[in-house]
Amino acid sequence: MNEFLFTQILTELEDAVGKENCSTKLVDKVAHSVDYFWLSRMWADRGREMPMGDFIVSPKDAQEVSKVLKIANYYKIPVTTWGGGGGTQGGAIPVCGGILLDTKRMNQIYDINEQGMYIECGAGAIYKHIEWAANERGYSTMHFPSSLTCSTVGGFLAHRGIGVVSTKYGKIDDMVLQMEVVLPNGDIINTSSAPKHAAGPDLNQIFIGSEGTLGIITKAQIRIYIQPEVRRFRGFLFKNMHAAFEASRELLQIFKPSVMRLYDDAETASLIKKIVGVAKPGAFMNIAYEGKKELVDVEEKILLETFAKYGAEDLGSEYGEKWWEEKITFFYPGHMMDLPQMFGTMDTIAPYDKIEEIYWAMKKAIETKYPNIKFIAHFSHWYEWGAMIYDRFICDNPPQDPIEAMKLHNEVWTTGVRTALAHGGVVNDHHGVGIKLGRLMKEQYGPAMQVFEGLKKSLDPNGIMNPFKLGL
Amino acid sequence: MKISDKARQQAESCRFCWMCRHVCPIGNADGQERNNARARALMVSYVIRGTEKLEDIATNMYECSLCGACANNCKTGWDPRLFIQEVKTQIILEGKEPEYIRKLLDNYSSCGAVFGKMDKGAQQLLQKMQEEYSDGKVLLLAGEMAVNKDAESLEKTLKLLSKGSESICLDKSADNTGYSLWYLTGKTKETVECARKCAEALNKYEKVVVYNPVELSFIRHEWKEWGITLKARVVGLNEELLDLINNDKLKVRKSDIEYSLQDNFAYARELDDVTSGRQLIEKVGIVKDMLLINKEANLAGQLIMNEYMPNTMKLVAKNRWMNAMNMGCKTLVTENPDEHVLLKENVPEGYKVITVEEMVLDNLA
Ligand SMILES: Cc1cc2nc3c(=O)[nH]c(=O)nc-3n(C[C@H](O)[C@H](O)[C@H](O)COP(=O)(O)OP(=O)(O)OC[C@H]3O[C@@H](n4cnc5c(N)ncnc54)[C@H](O)[C@@H]3O)c2cc1C
Ligand code: SF4
Ligand code: SF4
Repeated sequence: MNEFLFTQILTELEDAVGKENCSTKLVDKVAHSVDYFWLSRMWADRGREMPMGDFIVSPKDAQEVSKVLKIANYYKIPVTTWGGGGGTQGGAIPVCGGILLDTKRMNQIYDINEQGMYIECGAGAIYKHIEWAANERGYSTMHFPSSLTCSTVGGFLAHRGIGVVSTKYGKIDDMVLQMEVVLPNGDIINTSSAPKHAAGPDLNQIFIGSEGTLGIITKAQIRIYIQPEVRRFRGFLFKNMHAAFEASRELLQIFKPSVMRLYDDAETASLIKKIVGVAKPGAFMNIAYEGKKELVDVEEKILLETFAKYGAEDLGSEYGEKWWEEKITFFYPGHMMDLPQMFGTMDTIAPYDKIEEIYWAMKKAIETKYPNIKFIAHFSHWYEWGAMIYDRFICDNPPQDPIEAMKLHNEVWTTGVRTALAHGGVVNDHHGVGIKLGRLMKEQYGPAMQVFEGLKKSLDPNGIMNPFKLGL
Repeated sequence: MKISDKARQQAESCRFCWMCRHVCPIGNADGQERNNARARALMVSYVIRGTEKLEDIATNMYECSLCGACANNCKTGWDPRLFIQEVKTQIILEGKEPEYIRKLLDNYSSCGAVFGKMDKGAQQLLQKMQEEYSDGKVLLLAGEMAVNKDAESLEKTLKLLSKGSESICLDKSADNTGYSLWYLTGKTKETVECARKCAEALNKYEKVVVYNPVELSFIRHEWKEWGITLKARVVGLNEELLDLINNDKLKVRKSDIEYSLQDNFAYARELDDVTSGRQLIEKVGIVKDMLLINKEANLAGQLIMNEYMPNTMKLVAKNRWMNAMNMGCKTLVTENPDEHVLLKENVPEGYKVITVEEMVLDNLA
C-alpha cells in the first residue's frame, strides 16, 4: 500500500479507536504475529518474521469495532481478530496483513447476574478474570481449559473450546446465553435473548466457531454455576482401552462425572508417569464427580461398581487429586512438547461405535507412514453417545529448514485428519480450524460447505474478515 | 546482543508461553498484547536471532514493573525479570534507550533523582524533617520514591517511630539505594557504585528501618548478590512497628474497623512476608481480604513508570480498586509509597486508602 493511502487509513482508524489504541509499531506487530500454532512458533524459532498486521487496533466496545469494520470495508482491507493468541490453528495470524483487531480492551464485566446465573462481559475478557469475578460471588464458570489464564471469552467461542469438567458442565457452546456480534458491514446485532428457543435457527451457533470470518463477537453472557459442595477424584487403571470405553459408556447412561480422562498406554507411560506418578502399564483413567455430598456418595458407589465390572484397578483418590493440582503444569515449557520437536493435537470426536476404530486407524496411519513420529492420545470429553480423542503426534527431529518443516507438518496433519474423516470423525473437536485445517473442511462437509460459503458471501461480500481461515 | 546464558534460556522458554498473562498488571490494565512475559520474551528471542533490532523492542522492556507476578505464577521456576533487566543494560550500553528514559536518567544526573526537581512544598517538608530528625542511632531509610512523592507519609512515620521512643533520624546521604537506577539500567557499574555508597552510609547506624519493601528486597537480594554487605541491622517498617507494639513501646487500641491489606509484591513474594501487614491490622482492627492477596498480590502502581506511562498506571490502580470494590473492601492499607500515591490519586468515592503507619497512628491508645 502506498504511504499516502496508508496514512489516510491510519488517521481514520485513530479517529475510530483513539490514537493510543492504534499502533503501527514493530513491537505491536510482532507481538500479534506469532500465536500458539506450531508453524508460527517454528517460523519465529528459525528467525523468520511471520506475516504481520499493518495496523494494530484495540477497540473498547462494539461501537468502535463497528467503526473499524466500516473503514475496512470501504478500503477493502483484511481484518483479523486476535483475542489471546492462544489458538493452535493459526486462526489469529494476520496472514494477509491489513488490520489486526485485538479484543482485549473489551474486557469489561457488565453484570454478574445471580438471578439469571450468568456473567455478561466483553468478549476480550481473559477467561480466568471472569472466573475470578464469579468466584468473588461464590460461583464458578466451570470452564477450565488449560489456557484459562491466557485465552479470551471471544477466542473460546470462536474456536468452540472446551475445559476439563466438560462432561458434566458442557462445552463453551453450551455455556453461553446471549451474544453481541458486529457484522462485517458494521451492524451491531444481538442473538436471541435465550439460547433455547424455536425462533428459527440458532444465531449463537452460527457465530460460535466462526473464527472471526463472519463477524466479531463483542459481548457474551456466560453461564455461572454454584460451587460443588464436594469434588472427589478416583484414579483407575484399565488393562486396555476397550474395557475403559465399555465401562465409561455404561457409566454415562447413569450419571455424568465432571472430569473423565482416559490415557492410552503410551501417554500413561510418558506424561502421566512423569507428572502424576502412575508407573504401571495399562490405560490410566481419572474420574472426578462432584456436587451435593449425598448425591456424590451415590455416584461414587455406582462408579466403583461399574468400573469393577470391567476389571479396572482402583488406584484411590491420590493420583486424581495430584492430576487436578497439576492439570495446568502439563502445559508449561519444559513439561510440554516444545521446539525443536514438531507436534500437534489432532483432536476429533465420534460416537462410541466409531471412536476406537478412529484411534487405531489414526495411530496406524501416522506411525506407519512416519516411523519417526510418535502418536499418543487421551480421551477427555465424554457424552452419553461418544467421546473425543485428544491425539498428538510428536516428531523429535523435524527438518531444520523451515520450508521443509512446514511441508512435513502439513503432510502429517493431512494424513491424520483424513484418516479421522474416513472413519467417521470430524476435522476438529475443540481447537478449531484456522489456516491449519481450512483445506480439509470441504473434505468433511462436501456440498454442505455451501451453507457456510453462502453465509460468508452474504455477510462479508468483500471477503475482508479473517481471510484464508476456516476454509472460507 | 550480550546477555547471560541463563537470561537467554529464560527468554527462549517464555517466548511461546502465555500461562501467566492473567496476572500481569500492565497487560491487564492496557489490554496490549505486548505487555506480558511471553511477548517480551518473543521480542528478545527475535533480537537474539538478529531478526529485529534492539531499539525496536526497547520501549517494551520499560513497560514491565518487575512485580514478579509472572514468575510467582509460573511452574517452571523461571523469572522473566532476569532477561528484562539484562536487556535493559544492553539497551543503555548501546545508547538505544527511549527518549523518556534518557530524560529520567538526565534528571538523575542533574538532581540525583529520576523524578527531577521536587516541588517546593515537598522540599520544604523534607528539609523540616531533616532538621527535626537529624540525629539518632536508628535510621529511617526513606528511599527515593517516598522522599520525592510521598513526603507526608514519611512525616507520619517519623512521628510514629519517635513516639515509640526510638532515636530515629533521616539521612540524606544514605537515602539512595540505587533501586531506581537499577530499574532503569539494570546492573551497571553506576548502579553498583551507588548501592555501595549507600551501604557505607548505612553502616554508620546500629539499625536501619527500610520504609519501602521494594528497596528492602533490593538490599536483601541484589546487594547481596553483588557482594555488598551491611553491618547495620536492617528491618522493614512493618517489622519495626510490630516490634514496638509487641514491646508496649507503642500502645494501640483495637476496634472493629475493617482494613484490607494491599500486599506489596516485594514483601509478599520477594521477602516471603505475607503476615506482618495483617498482624498490624489485627492489632488495631479486623482484616478483610480481597481477591489476589498474599503471594498472588496484584500490583496497584509503580511511580517510576508513572513518569512515562501515567495513563496505564491510572488503569493499574483502578483495576486494583475494582478488586477491592468487588469484595466490599472500603479501606485499603498500603505498604509501599508507589501504591499509596497511585491508589490515592484514583480513589473511588466512598473508599479510602491509608498507609500502615497511618493506620497505626490513627489507632494509638
Ligand atoms: C497452553 C494452552 C493450552 C490450551 N488448552 C486448551 C484447552 O484445554 N481447551 C481448549 O479448548 N483450547 C485450549 N487451547 C487453545 C486455545 O486456548 C483456544 O483455541 C482458545 O479458544 C483461543 O482463544 P484466544 O483468545 O487465545 O484466541 P486467538 O488465538 O486470539 O484467536 C482464535 C480464533 O478466534 C478468532 N477470534 C478471537 N476472538 C474473537 C472474537 N471476539 N470474535 C470473533 N472471532 C474471534 C480469531 O480470529 C482466531 O480465528 C490451549 C492453548 C494454549 C496456549
Ligand atoms: S514466566 Fe512462566 S508462565 Fe510466564 S511466560 Fe515464562 S514460562 Fe510462561
Ligand atoms: S514482572 Fe510483573 S509487570 Fe513484568 S511481565 Fe511479569 S507480571 Fe508483568
